[in-house]
Amino acid sequence: MNVIELEDVVKRYQSGEEIIEALKGVDFQADRGEMVTVIGPSGSGKSTMLNIIGLLDTPTEGTVRLDGRNVTDFSEDELTEERRSGIGFVFQDFHLLPMLTATENVELPSMWDTSVDRHERAIDLLERVGLGDRLDHTPSQLSGGQKQRVAIARALINEPDILLADEPTGNLDQDTGETILEELTRLKEEENVAIVAVTHDEQMLEYTDSTVRIVDGVIQEVAHA
Amino acid sequence: MSVADLLWRFPSALMAWRNLGRNRVRTGLAALGIVIGVIAIASLGMAGAAIQQQAATDLGGLASEVTVIAGEDSEQDGLTDDQVAEMRAIAGDAPVVPQKSNATRLTSRSGEEVFVSVTGVEQASVLYNVSQGDAPDRLESGALISASTAEQLELEIGDPVEYDGRLYRIRGIIESDGGFGGGGNELVLPLSALSDQDYYDSVTIEAADGEQATAISEGLEARFNEGDEEVISVTNFAGVQEDIDSFLNTLNLALLGIGSISLVVASVAILNVMLMSTIERRGEIGVLRAVGIRRGEVLRMILTEAAFLGVIGGLLGALVSLGVGMLMFDLIAGDALLVFGWSSFRYLFYGFGFAVFASLLSGLYPAWKAANDRPVDALRG
Repeated sequence: MNVIELEDVVKRYQSGEEIIEALKGVDFQADRGEMVTVIGPSGSGKSTMLNIIGLLDTPTEGTVRLDGRNVTDFSEDELTEERRSGIGFVFQDFHLLPMLTATENVELPSMWDTSVDRHERAIDLLERVGLGDRLDHTPSQLSGGQKQRVAIARALINEPDILLADEPTGNLDQDTGETILEELTRLKEEENVAIVAVTHDEQMLEYTDSTVRIVDGVIQEVAHA
Repeated sequence: MSVADLLWRFPSALMAWRNLGRNRVRTGLAALGIVIGVIAIASLGMAGAAIQQQAATDLGGLASEVTVIAGEDSEQDGLTDDQVAEMRAIAGDAPVVPQKSNATRLTSRSGEEVFVSVTGVEQASVLYNVSQGDAPDRLESGALISASTAEQLELEIGDPVEYDGRLYRIRGIIESDGGFGGGGNELVLPLSALSDQDYYDSVTIEAADGEQATAISEGLEARFNEGDEEVISVTNFAGVQEDIDSFLNTLNLALLGIGSISLVVASVAILNVMLMSTIERRGEIGVLRAVGIRRGEVLRMILTEAAFLGVIGGLLGALVSLGVGMLMFDLIAGDALLVFGWSSFRYLFYGFGFAVFASLLSGLYPAWKAANDRPVDALRG
């Protein structure tokens, strides 16, 4: 069963006087252990789609299913719980908190959760992405590639079903981007997580299981690798 | 276990502490505003307390003293033994001291003449404090003399003074007190010295406090003066003291009001700082919300930041105020340690409490605003 499913999703924005239709009836699905890449020109609606998959935004019409459950009408607080337990985020510009160490940044999503101690898992994840010797470094002491690895570890801390990556290699050079993509591919299988990535990066297509092209809010093409 | 480990159990506190540490200058300036506000409130409050305390000391026993003299409608020129006995019944356990007065001239060995008022009294210890010698409970022989008079006449303890043809040995020098009416030339003799006077010129009743003095005054008026008749005239300054107290209370409130204004200004500064820092960190808070941090947790984190500012500023402010208070008490009351009396010390707690309260209040809006920002909007920055 697909872990995330969009069915006929429409998203409209009010922008000044005019109404913009960012998504015009999109169907999408991804399963655990699968990497799906979304490509498309700027303003095509791919970020909007990623926000809806990540439960950061709600669709105007259509249905969002998480693990088969309809979460379309969930309240903001319910969506927060779903994000906390089931979704990890990796952003283009890393978005690490500058005053926390690498380990603390990884633990951040579970920080307020006193029922579980994720400290061991945070260290384990950082070791697995090759940062075992950078545990107590703050983001300013890390390179771009190292920051993105910390961000990936943070996205996986709560053992999510879905990892969303918004231009994960966008701020990295070619070689570093490649190692990040290798890291993601490996963790996708180790952690059995669905990865949905939005990108402009051609090299990403080498690592993906399927590719979705979206233009003007409509999915035009789905290619399986 | 380190401080950081301890803070880990309180994630809001850990995050708040680290956030404040990011921009130390801004944090310091915001806390400084609170420090100044607390100093203003606590110092002005303590200044009021110091003035009040000093006024109470200066006015001394004046308010608890009731003085009775014969009124316009009295049948005789003075107060009788019967009347004094009735006053004793009304006054209860408060000492009732009848006095006779006169005036005389005393001459020093060098021929200098001094005009002195003479008081005949038995319970001298109730009315007079002596700096040398003693003031007996029952003055039956000997005399007390005011310090300035003794100096003028070059008299010492044991020297004789003459009144009405008899000699009295000086056994005490009366200390000049700070209250009203002191400082005159005064000679205190046993009642027997003025035995040619049939009546008492005045009666002094020493009540325990202003309240009892007022009650006794009213009791005396009711007993002796019927209608508009004035058989006796009762004087008591308890009312005056109450007026002064109430004036000082008003003054104190006004001082505190001025102090509060600076704390209001400080909390507006905190509101501004918190609002700026949450706007600056909008994207960051968006990330927190995206990774599943609940709205309430973001709210608590930012409120904790505001509370830290209040606690830090409040503690520093209270510390500085303590110093200011000691200085004021040293200047006004002559004893710096009096600041630790509850009537002034409490203003340190008030100042600190107000600081934390005002900071939390100022943090409320920025915290609410940050917590309720939609993550998708916040992430865009």
